[in-house]
Amino acid sequence: MTQPGSPDQPADQLGELVRVAQRGDALAMNDLLDLLAPYVGRLCGPIALQDGPDAAQEALFAIFRRLGQLREPAALFGWVRAIAVREAVRVARRSQTDRTVTGALADLPAPGDPQLATDVRSLLARLAPEHRAVLVLRDLEGLDEQAAAALLKVPRGTVKSRLSRARRSFRKEWQA
Amino acid sequence: MSETQGWPVAELDAVRRLRVLASAQGGLYAEGVIAAPFEQVWAVAADLEGELPKYLPDVRSLRVTAADGDRLEARARGRLGLRARFDGVLRPGWCVLQSRFLIGGIAAVPDGQASRVAFLGSFRAPGLRLLRPLLAPLERRVGRIVLRRLEAQIHAR
Repeated sequence: MTQPGSPDQPADQLGELVRVAQRGDALAMNDLLDLLAPYVGRLCGPIALQDGPDAAQEALFAIFRRLGQLREPAALFGWVRAIAVREAVRVARRSQTDRTVTGALADLPAPGDPQLATDVRSLLARLAPEHRAVLVLRDLEGLDEQAAAALLKVPRGTVKSRLSRARRSFRKEWQA
Repeated sequence: MSETQGWPVAELDAVRRLRVLASAQGGLYAEGVIAAPFEQVWAVAADLEGELPKYLPDVRSLRVTAADGDRLEARARGRLGLRARFDGVLRPGWCVLQSRFLIGGIAAVPDGQASRVAFLGSFRAPGLRLLRPLLAPLERRVGRIVLRRLEAQIHAR
């Protein structure tokens, strides 16, 4: 009987799981879903907020439909991360067309800021989806500005200046 | 939505998972709400030997031959006498079975006082996949029949 996938499994086992799933094996896909759904949920939740389950579903649609295009199974999680973050931003933007977003004056705290730890949800709700994506990539995934910019397909300077300006804005409000 | 250290986490319930599997596999997919609590629905849906042959039109009998945690092996016999070995996974709200030629899945989640139930059936043979556009109307009809039969079995208990 096929054994389920695990985040801690060796790279060769993960590679074999991906290759079998690419051939359309439903049980390998089941195991890959077990492995990827929690990760995709952690990425989509903070970006798409109440639309998180829809975003995670859309991301996994895209991941499993394009699975055959993944040539290097070792790159699985980076590949999944890029798809999940872009899908979460897309779903969040689509859903908030009728809502007021204060993304232009976004308040991004620095990593480790106590406000971030205590009030993540309300902070996220005040940000535009693109800013939430930067925060997730930086604070949850540990990416640097260059990697975050590449994933979001924006210039590195845009990410850097946006973060810097937002942090100043956040400090100003927090200390007021 | 749950949280990890204050960060919201998006949950993918079993029905959404089956939608993902269906989008990758194609084939017959049907989803509906059954007016019964989840526990009652899953007690019938997960009874592979006793109830599954009653709600799946092509299955005459199914016998679970081995089980290890949520993994299982089963032997099924079709209405026309064909036999097949299935490997599968069975856990609360989620079941996927796969033979050499067929894939079947059923998922259920609570939906208020009722339950949302989804069913997937797909051929693994590439040649049959080419016929999918022609089979689509039939697949939709069969999907509705499966869910109706399942609901009837649940209310008959």
